[in-house]
Amino acid sequence: MIRVLGLGNVLMSDDGLGPYVVRVLEANYECPSGVEFVDAGTPGLDLTPYLLDARAVIFVDTVSSKGQPGEIRVYERDEILKYPPQTRTGPHDPALKEALLRVAAVNGGPDQVTLIGVIPQWVATGVAMSPIVQDAVPRAVVAVVETLTRLGKPPVLRERAIQPDLWWCDAPEKFSHPAAK
Amino acid sequence: MSRITIDPVTRIEGHLRIDAEIDGGVVRKAWSSGQMFRGIERILQGRDPREAWLFTQRFCGVCTTVHAIASVRAVENALQLQVPLNAQYIRNLILAAHAMHDHIVHFYHLSALDWVDVVSALQADPAKTSALAETLSTWPGNSKMKLTAVRDKLKGFVDNGQLGIFQNGYWGHPAMKLSPEVNLLAVSHYLEALEQQRRINQVVAILGGKTPNIQNLAVGGVANAINLDNQATLNMDKLYQVKDLIDEIQAFIQQVYFVDVCAIGAMYADWLTYGKGVTNYLSVPDLPLDSAGTQFDFPGGVIMNGDLSSVQEIRTFNEPFFKENVTESIARAWYDGDWTKHPYEEDTEPRYTSFEDNGKYSWVKAPRFKGHPMQVGPLAQVLSGIALGHKPTVKWATKTLETAGSIAKTTLTPAVLHSTLGRHAARMIRTQIIAELAQKHWNLLVNNIAKGDTSIYNEPVFPKGEQRGFGFHEAPRGTLSHWVVIRDGKIANYQAVVPSTWNAGPRDEKDQPGPYEASLVGNPVADAERPLELIRTVHSFDPCLACAIHTVDVEGTEIAKVKAL
Repeated sequence: MIRVLGLGNVLMSDDGLGPYVVRVLEANYECPSGVEFVDAGTPGLDLTPYLLDARAVIFVDTVSSKGQPGEIRVYERDEILKYPPQTRTGPHDPALKEALLRVAAVNGGPDQVTLIGVIPQWVATGVAMSPIVQDAVPRAVVAVVETLTRLGKPPVLRERAIQPDLWWCDAPEKFSHPAAK
Repeated sequence: MSRITIDPVTRIEGHLRIDAEIDGGVVRKAWSSGQMFRGIERILQGRDPREAWLFTQRFCGVCTTVHAIASVRAVENALQLQVPLNAQYIRNLILAAHAMHDHIVHFYHLSALDWVDVVSALQADPAKTSALAETLSTWPGNSKMKLTAVRDKLKGFVDNGQLGIFQNGYWGHPAMKLSPEVNLLAVSHYLEALEQQRRINQVVAILGGKTPNIQNLAVGGVANAINLDNQATLNMDKLYQVKDLIDEIQAFIQQVYFVDVCAIGAMYADWLTYGKGVTNYLSVPDLPLDSAGTQFDFPGGVIMNGDLSSVQEIRTFNEPFFKENVTESIARAWYDGDWTKHPYEEDTEPRYTSFEDNGKYSWVKAPRFKGHPMQVGPLAQVLSGIALGHKPTVKWATKTLETAGSIAKTTLTPAVLHSTLGRHAARMIRTQIIAELAQKHWNLLVNNIAKGDTSIYNEPVFPKGEQRGFGFHEAPRGTLSHWVVIRDGKIANYQAVVPSTWNAGPRDEKDQPGPYEASLVGNPVADAERPLELIRTVHSFDPCLACAIHTVDVEGTEIAKVKAL
């Protein structure tokens, strides 16, 4: 099993990038057999079940990194785990590192781990992404497709793309980040 | 007098910050502070009430289903809309699976290592460990071979110079008391629990359609079409998959989780005297048995000052005693004003100042019931079960106290439950009951379908004008309530009063501390640089504050700050 896991909170503007990319991906490409596209939200340690039976995973998420908002950063497993996870006081701290280490302790977990990260511009309550991060979506989708291709599972473009299910963006923009106006 | 701040402020994440004044190695005063503004409810204004649950289940990436269920219940309450029996049972099974999952993860993966010294487990003799385990449980995973493999795996981590998941622990701390053998057994169960987590997650996936965010819910029922002969719908095949998974998880819960909590509790019996705090308890009934929400498998109620004879039951989804008595205070929280209001009347206007010990110091509002701070969570639920004579609760509470008492060679009464370890015991007791009730509700569902009832949904109709509704759910972390004001078919106001708000909230206009703050007072602190004891008490509540956002810090090397002044 290979999983593409979109991480992030769709109610927190740019943080919703991961789920957004997964929805655009599934609307434009047929999901190859043996591959799953998952809008995983912010599962924290509950990420573990999605890793236990996977030989490869591709995470899509916002990342904290030096650089300009909208820039893409790609990390492989060793880079993700280069620094130890931060001390956890609650169950919800980003648990990507912890989840990888947990499955490593049980059965090794996925051999191939790729994190396709986008540097966010703003992360605050709201359903609209910043324009610059919105612009990064197609590039992130391409990065996922290239990674899947490298893993021997190239997704095929749909003959006719369907409308992505971006339900959180559909309804009225009663409240959006001040910078969006 | 010294002061400890445990502040995992690393970047943009919202977090829990705990400040404690220490004198003579004991906490004298504490502050609990939520460090991030969310105000997510504001996103809901103007939206279609039928879609609110899609948004609310994104409040928190771990408690997804609980916010979904509270939301549909609130809208159904506003419309006085009943839901078909099948829908209640399916929802109940999803909630039960979610709760078992959540409690197991909390005990093994989020709090056990406050009590279990992983490094000490390296010194354990697997044969002795297995022999010890045999005196406690018949679980097949406790064999000498298995335990040797776990020890060797641990040794491998250490020899490679990295402990992996066990990197950040207070290993060797003077407050760690378990023998190497017990530590090894617990580490083994920690790893096994990961596989259990995957299993129980499948129940939610089958019934909820997807995880972690379910898709089969609807205001008025569920969206699982039932046709026993159709592959695409909920059929007998899928129902038996669910049954098998429940059986497996129940075996782990009874043979492993029960024993571990009793044994660790017995070996840390002094922690039955710390962490009491607020002894007003609030819980609500759950697992409804009828369409209107008047009969439940779990009772709920209000207990004041730890006096079980004072219990006042909360009976139905329409209970005025609940509806009329919940308020929130922002006297000490970073919002505009200093009001105390009913959730229907609240607003959420952020106004950050600074951390003032005697002023405002948190983003968390302070919920109150009839003006009193209340502790919520499994302990509140178990205590109201005992107080109301709920047979399964009495049975499992008695069995737990007897088993832990016999290991500790003492007699334990329900009074010891008002404590840090009591919260862990209560969470385990509740999990035992939920496992039994999951079986019951599976049977109720299958029997109801066998009778020919395949109804899953009553369509909601929104009249002109205003309706108000509240929906509650006794979630893994305690009483959750959503409050909605609907005007002409659109959401005019929405508030979620969540369990961690009840427990982690700050003081109020009368300077009454919240449950975290009160529970820390009197805790010992052996080493102010490594305040393991404070972590133990805070973790016992299963805190959940920082779930709103997620950005990964791959390159960051910062760790949580513990500042001792």
